[in-house]
Amino acid sequence: MSAYGTTRHHGQPSANSTPASTTLFRRLTWEGTVPLEIRVDSKELPANSDRGLECYYIQAPRVSYLPLLMPEIRRFLMDVVFDEAAGKMLKEEEWWFESEEGTLLKWHWPIGLIYDNHIISASIRPPSQTSTSHYNLQVTPLKLILHLASPPTEKLLLSPSAESCKQAFMGQLKEADFIRWGNTKRMTGLRKQDQDGIWEGIKEHNFDDYWRVASKVVPTTAPARSNSPPPSTNTSMHARPPSTDPQSAPDRDNAYNVRSVPVRLYLPDGPVMQDVVSPTLEDGSPHTLVHYLSTHLPLLFPPVPYSGPELAYAMMHGVLVPPDAEMAWLGACMAGADGWVSLCVGIVR
Amino acid sequence: MASGSPDDSGRQAALPWTPDVSESATEALQALDTYKKKDPSKVVVRFKAVGNAPIMRQNFYKITASNRFQAVIQFLRKELGWKAGDPLFTYINLAFSPAPDDTVSNLYKSFATEGHLIVNYSTTAAWG
Repeated sequence: MSAYGTTRHHGQPSANSTPASTTLFRRLTWEGTVPLEIRVDSKELPANSDRGLECYYIQAPRVSYLPLLMPEIRRFLMDVVFDEAAGKMLKEEEWWFESEEGTLLKWHWPIGLIYDNHIISASIRPPSQTSTSHYNLQVTPLKLILHLASPPTEKLLLSPSAESCKQAFMGQLKEADFIRWGNTKRMTGLRKQDQDGIWEGIKEHNFDDYWRVASKVVPTTAPARSNSPPPSTNTSMHARPPSTDPQSAPDRDNAYNVRSVPVRLYLPDGPVMQDVVSPTLEDGSPHTLVHYLSTHLPLLFPPVPYSGPELAYAMMHGVLVPPDAEMAWLGACMAGADGWVSLCVGIVR
Repeated sequence: MASGSPDDSGRQAALPWTPDVSESATEALQALDTYKKKDPSKVVVRFKAVGNAPIMRQNFYKITASNRFQAVIQFLRKELGWKAGDPLFTYINLAFSPAPDDTVSNLYKSFATEGHLIVNYSTTAAWG
C-alpha cells in the first residue's frame, strides 16, 4: 500500500509539499476565527437584568470549543447584563446553546465545525432566508441562543465543563491516531505534561504550544515523498528532534504512509460519514478529494466525465477545497486541532 | 453505495423550495435524501471487560448500525445494572473513547476486528 508508483500522471510534487508550507497551512488553519452572536434567551433572563444588552459578540477561534468561551461570556453577562444578586444564583453547568433554528449545539464539536455545519445546513433551506451567494459562504455571525436553565442533558451527551471537553478532545486525537497507524502509541507515548500541554495550546489558542506536541503525533508532508525510494539523506529534511524518533525510519512521519487519513464527511442536517480513507490509490497515485467525494457521494459529486451542473461543494475551515487536493495532504496540513479532516458538504444553488 | 433511486413523487411537495429553484438544486436535495436514509443493517458488537469491571454472561450483541455509540453505552449500562452516576468508561480496541454521537456504522467501518466491533468497558478511566 505504501509503495509509490513511479509513473504519476497527476499530482506533480507541488510547492505545497515542503515543510515550510505545511507550517503555513497549519497556521492558517489555526488562526481561523468565526463570528458568533450570543444572545441570552430573553424568557430566561433573571429579574432586573439590563435588557437590550443581552447580546455578546465574539470572534472565536475555529479550533476552540464552546465550554472554553463560557468564562468570558459569563464575565460579560455578570458585568453588564445580570443583576448582581440574580446572577450569582445562576449555575453555569446548566447553561447550554442552541442555534436560531433550534439546533442543539454540541459541547465537543470544534467551534469552526459548528459554524461550517450551520452554513451547509442553511444551504438546503429556501434561499430567501439566507444570503443569495452561489455557495452561501457568507461570513455573518452565527446566532446562538444561550439558555440558562434546564439543559437537555441526554441530547448534549457531555457536561459543559472544560474537563469533559478536554477528555472528548483527547479521545478524538487518539481515535485519529488509531486511524492513521492502527494503534495509539504516539498519543499514549506522550508524557503527561505534553498531553496537558496540547490542551493548554487549545485553551490559550497558542499555535506554538499546540504544535510543539502535535508534531509528535500528526504526520507531515516531506519533499521526499515523490522520490521512490526516498534517499536516506532525506531523513534530515524532517527536521525533527532525534529524541522523539528512536527508530527514525525515514517515512515514519510521512502523511502518505499512513494506513488511513482521519476524515469525516458532514452532510447538511446530518448524517456524518466516516470510512477508511487510504492516502494513495491502488496504482500508487495520491488519493484526491475529487476521487474520495465521487466514491462516497456519487450522486452529489458524479464521477468524471461529468458535464452537468455542479451540485454540491466541499469545504473545510470555511474555504472551498480544490478537487485535486490530496487527502494525505489535507490530513497533514488542514486537519483540525483534533486531528480530523472535517469536510462539510453543501448544496450549490 | 446508495445507488437507489428515491421515490420522491410524494415528497417533492414537502421540500421547502420555491418553484424557481434550479433543477440541479432539486437533484442535489434528492441525492441528500438518499444519503440520509438510515442504514438498517446490523453489526456485531463484542463487549470485553477491563480491570475490575463485571464480566457479562453474553458478550456478543447485534446492534443496528445507524445507532449512535451513546445507545451502545446505554445498553451496556442497562445490562450491567448500572445506576445513573455509576462510573463506566468505554473504549474501542483498548485504545480510545469514541464521541458518543458517532454512529456504530462509522466505528464499525473504521475499527472492526474480524467482523466485530470490540467495545471495552471499565469502571475506572483506563486509557484516559
